[in-house]
Amino acid sequence: MEGRPREERELVLRAQRGDARAFGELVRPEQEVSFRVAYLITRNPSDAEDAAQDALVKAWRAFPRFRAGEPLRPWLLRIVANEARNRRRSAGRRERLALRAAASPGEAAPSPAEAAAGADERRLLLEALDGLPDDARLVLACRYLLELSEEETAAALGVRRGTVKSRSARALDRLREAYGPRA
Amino acid sequence: MDLERDLRALEPAWPETPELRLSLPAQSRRRRPWLVAIAAAVVVAVAAALAVPQSRGAILRLFHLGGVTIVRVDTLPPAQERPLAAGLGPVVSRSEAERLLRTAPLLPPGPAPPLHFGNGVVSLLLADRGRPVLLSELGSGDPLLMKKLLATGTSIEGTPVGPAYGYWISGAPHAVYLGPDVPPRLAGNVLLWQREGLTLRLEGNGLTRGRAVALARSLR
Repeated sequence: MEGRPREERELVLRAQRGDARAFGELVRPEQEVSFRVAYLITRNPSDAEDAAQDALVKAWRAFPRFRAGEPLRPWLLRIVANEARNRRRSAGRRERLALRAAASPGEAAPSPAEAAAGADERRLLLEALDGLPDDARLVLACRYLLELSEEETAAALGVRRGTVKSRSARALDRLREAYGPRA
Repeated sequence: MDLERDLRALEPAWPETPELRLSLPAQSRRRRPWLVAIAAAVVVAVAAALAVPQSRGAILRLFHLGGVTIVRVDTLPPAQERPLAAGLGPVVSRSEAERLLRTAPLLPPGPAPPLHFGNGVVSLLLADRGRPVLLSELGSGDPLLMKKLLATGTSIEGTPVGPAYGYWISGAPHAVYLGPDVPPRLAGNVLLWQREGLTLRLEGNGLTRGRAVALARSLR
């Protein structure tokens, strides 16, 4: 959409001048990914909601310092992830991610036996992912489950892009080991 | 089996995304009386500390003045030297600047130079005896808009600015941060003070304390 960057820049300038509606338009498309990043970090839906909500307010207050023309998502995810990490630290608990595999994603009407086998494979893969150390789990979840770019992942994890690359490679190796001979 | 492909195909059943509230508080608020009291107390404590040399090491590590935090460090982080006019942001009208700061900007006498807005700061490039001087004005709502790092070789002294009290930072350049997304830059001599709900900052290479205070007092 050709007019989009110009329109977005207008929204940014309006939001920086205190227009909350313009800010809402900018961040509304980012709500889902913000909540999911917070959920990956806190592992708890209530904490994730609180973290995403508080992050939104912090982002609004900090928005006059946002540089127009920069991508919004990495900037916002950095704030969301910080808030989620703080909340997780203060909660002091470690929960299982409790993500379940959705039923037969992207498959065209498999047989019942194939569907059961596929669901089992996905469940095992998610369990193996959830069992990885946090650094490895988060980088893989950001890159492959949320399909964030390297820049967005780096912002969410508070690391450099190069670290995302190296950490992803190591995490995939660990996942292969954990997932066993299937991989 | 391609592990990356399988990970992408997982499509986990995420918890339902809640509707986040987009009714937001004002971005910037008028300074509350207790904030003024804290700022005043910090300035008084620092002024007292400056008069007692043996207490400098303990107290000159962290200062706050309005939207500015000043930190003493052993070594400056990498920072670039950039022209004063670089990265000030787009030009805004006087009324826009007033809306952004939630109060009228202070201006030099005579025709005002263009006002810029960027990173939460309204900036004007002034001239003092032919040399550029940057005036930065910060609203009072956000208590941490700017961070300054001072290493050995940079001195900080309390100084009266008209009826107010501020800081004079001089000597070796110090590092200025305007936020996590803006690369730090090196700054020259700086006068920092508060007036009429604004935190103000005058910066110039070779700027003297006398000239800075005179410029500060001329602002209306």
